[in-house]
Amino acid sequence: MTPHPNGDGPHPAVDTHELWKIFGEGSTAVHAVQNVSIAIEPGEFVALCGPSGSGKTTLVNLIGGLTDPTRGTVRVDGRDVGAMSERARAQLRLERIGFVFQAYNLLPVLSALENAEFPLMLRGAGREERRREVSKLFEHIGLGGLEDRRPGALSGGQQQRVAVARAVLGAPALVLADEPTANLDTQASDNLLEVMEVLNRERGVTFIFCTHDPRVMRRARRIIRLVDGHVERDAEKEPGTLPDWVLEPVDT
Amino acid sequence: MMERWVVVARIAVRNVRRQLRRSVLTSSAMVLGIALLMFVRALEGGAHLMYVDTATRMGTGHIAMEHPDYIGSQDVEDRIAGADLDRAVQAVRASAGPDELVAVFPRVNVGGLAQSASSSIPVRIGGVDPTLERDVSFFADKVVEGRYLEPDDRLEAIIGAGVAERLRLELGSRLVLMAAGSGGELESQLVLVTGIFRTGVPEVDRGVVQLPLATAREWLELGDDATSVSVILSADRRTEAIASAIRQRLDQAGVAPEGLAVRPWWEAMPDLHAGLRADAVQTYIMLLILLAIVALAVVNSILMAVLNRTREFGVLRALGLNRRSVGGMVMAEGLILTLASGLAGMLLGLAISVGLFRDGVDISFLFGGDVAFAGAVVDPVIPPAILASDVIAIISIVVAMGILATLYPAWQATRIEPAEAMKTDE
Ligand SMILES: Nc1ncnc2c1ncn2[C@@H]1O[C@H](COP(=O)(O)OP(=O)(O)OP(=O)(O)O)[C@@H](O)[C@H]1O
Ligand SMILES: [Mg+2]
Repeated sequence: MTPHPNGDGPHPAVDTHELWKIFGEGSTAVHAVQNVSIAIEPGEFVALCGPSGSGKTTLVNLIGGLTDPTRGTVRVDGRDVGAMSERARAQLRLERIGFVFQAYNLLPVLSALENAEFPLMLRGAGREERRREVSKLFEHIGLGGLEDRRPGALSGGQQQRVAVARAVLGAPALVLADEPTANLDTQASDNLLEVMEVLNRERGVTFIFCTHDPRVMRRARRIIRLVDGHVERDAEKEPGTLPDWVLEPVDT
Repeated sequence: MMERWVVVARIAVRNVRRQLRRSVLTSSAMVLGIALLMFVRALEGGAHLMYVDTATRMGTGHIAMEHPDYIGSQDVEDRIAGADLDRAVQAVRASAGPDELVAVFPRVNVGGLAQSASSSIPVRIGGVDPTLERDVSFFADKVVEGRYLEPDDRLEAIIGAGVAERLRLELGSRLVLMAAGSGGELESQLVLVTGIFRTGVPEVDRGVVQLPLATAREWLELGDDATSVSVILSADRRTEAIASAIRQRLDQAGVAPEGLAVRPWWEAMPDLHAGLRADAVQTYIMLLILLAIVALAVVNSILMAVLNRTREFGVLRALGLNRRSVGGMVMAEGLILTLASGLAGMLLGLAISVGLFRDGVDISFLFGGDVAFAGAVVDPVIPPAILASDVIAIISIVVAMGILATLYPAWQATRIEPAEAMKTDE
């Protein structure tokens, strides 16, 4: 397979410059993201870790253009997300970014299959192609036979897998995944992670995970640890290993 | 691009179905409101048709032709010459199809006095052709004593019940009619009461006398002339078009509009027309107020549905739908709901109007007696009729309601931030 056509340009897949997100004002202000400047190259497989409330979800939202930064800039493929029109941002998300939300957020009125194929459909993929891609992936991640169920009739773990399928189908250039394995047993999360590794390896898809899960961190090739909204540590590592600092308690 | 709207529409349809209970509750108010509007208008439409039918059959016709000055002067000096009369009748026959034309007849209408042995009163005197008018005349239906005029009649006349009462006349009584003739002199004519009619309209019953056209012409020395020509059509739909066709033909035949005015009934009877309009306007205003309240309930319900699904709209945005598509989805949901309710309401109104009350609604209880309207009396039993203009108006109202009731919730939906989707609390 060829690398993702848009995966290896001259620009980083994601870079942030002195990025701040402050919720509220005055004494009640929450500094969710503080002065974060990171660059993530196309084809990276990055785990974003840190204690609860450290700003992982907020950072990922900023990268995807789902919230506006208080200060600083976010670039995706070298394009300044903050400077884009609302429509251009929607288009960017549609064509380039797959999301896995912390709460799986499937559309309740669509079946599992329809949920998974939703972004493909918006991108204009034909019905045949959509069905083929979805069933191949569903089979692979243990969702075979559940295509026609509505989310309400799926377990939490099954919903989560549908959400991951929705994010990665069609191999977008960038996948932002917020706790994609939180509700899965070892077997299921290994399956999912393998699918993602294959996409990463064979099609150059860039992955950024927010995670508390050592299994995810073990597979990552780079770990960024957030504490109180700023980058406490950012280091490359060998896949399969787990440096001890990732799980260290925060000293305050 | 198409795919996007297909999926947006699919989600919208399923959401309406998912929230069927709420949808039904919301829409039932609208269904009933529209059905009520439809039914009330159908009753008024039925009454409208009856008023027009009655008024035209009292002699004006759907189209009335007179000398333009006669309208103001009511003087036989301003009459239609015999030659023009023939051209007018020809123009009518050429302009209206054989199925459309029920009758065309000349008349001599004058104001005058009716005098009996006991007293005299002012009356409207109509010289009518019994052969031409018998089948269409409203008066022929309303004769309560004696009979209507017949082709061989000469001195026979029919009078209103009020005239008979005031002049103490019975069948067979004599009375003398007096009016200004063509020379401007007062002429008198003796006639015999052969029929008494009761229309229910006091002004008519107390002030109308009819006698044969030939007798009237001779009496007033009018030769072949007449004061008016009336055209009765089988339906009111093409009145306007036929009137202008007649005008055109008369023009070609050399009869100038200065010599002969061709007027549809709403110009000839402006009071009746204004009355019908006022009726419709009143109904629409009242029911629009009702429907505005219904619309507020619809807005509220759609808005609640949007606010309950904040996260869902956030997800859609995060997945790459832009604001416009999200707004479009809410519009689609709201329009499906309101248009379906509107359609259901119209069908319900139709079913009530032509199904349940097919035989007519007796509205006499509203009036406690004869039902007269703008100088026309009607049968108090009204068969509902749905007019095309009302169907168009109601469809417009439904569409306008749908759009207005959905705009604000749709706008609210576009303002939902995509980050809402990432919130973890359910
Ligand atoms: N919309 C918001 N308004 C106010 N404060 C917010 C908002 N969203 C997040 N925060 C605050 O910002 C901080 C970072 O939150 P964030 O959700 O990014 O943490 P996180 O690292 O994803 O945590 P977790 O591991 O529990 O998911 C927290 O203190 C949170 O309370
Ligand atoms: Mg989080």
